[in-house]
Amino acid sequence: MNGWTWTATIALGVGVGAAVWGVVTGPLRRRVVAQNLSSALAAPGLLLLAQGYGRPAYVDLALLLALLGPVGTLVFARLLADDLAGDPPRAWAVTLAVAGYGAVVVLVLCAVTGPGRAMVKLLVVGALLIGGNLVASRALSGGFPGSRRG
Amino acid sequence: MDDPLIVVVLLLVAAAATAAVAVRDPVRQALVLAVLGVCLALLFTVTQAPDVGLSQLAVGSAVTPLLIMLSVRKVRRRQQDGKEKER
Repeated sequence: MNGWTWTATIALGVGVGAAVWGVVTGPLRRRVVAQNLSSALAAPGLLLLAQGYGRPAYVDLALLLALLGPVGTLVFARLLADDLAGDPPRAWAVTLAVAGYGAVVVLVLCAVTGPGRAMVKLLVVGALLIGGNLVASRALSGGFPGSRRG
Repeated sequence: MDDPLIVVVLLLVAAAATAAVAVRDPVRQALVLAVLGVCLALLFTVTQAPDVGLSQLAVGSAVTPLLIMLSVRKVRRRQQDGKEKER
């Protein structure tokens, strides 16, 4: 094991562990936030693993997770809108902290990779991760009232 | 060689899977199941099977919760209709 995989071990253990704990306990609003943040916490870990194993192809996993994680959260936001309307989740501090964690990991990996196609791919993953996470958080807290119909 | 990493991810999968069984409400079960899908994808990745991890991510993080939530919604609507007919 090298430094990257050790960092990934700690990051995944603490981050995803906290997400599992949050999704298992507490009221429904805390559970949906934890489910939303689980993808944002796991994707940087996958990026660190790709760097640690020395296999750039593993970045695809983080790309897919950054793309589909918010989609899963939007499913919950859409179908649980009535349950969450009376008690909307407000966790902007945690959401922004996790987004900052993703940004730090992506920027460090970009600095290590150096300019080129791999760096562009990393930046795309980071943008999808943070953008999708913020959109999903806003949808969970009822930020898109037009989507409630139906 | 990557034993600590595999142990940590295995523990995460065990915790999430136990919780998915122990939680009783189907909606909350679907939420735990989505997180379990992410944990399983991590497990497949650290055991050097990223192709399996990719398909697990695609199915586990979006499709399974969608199917469960749609079924829950349909069942709830049917129950509400039944109550209205009784009145």
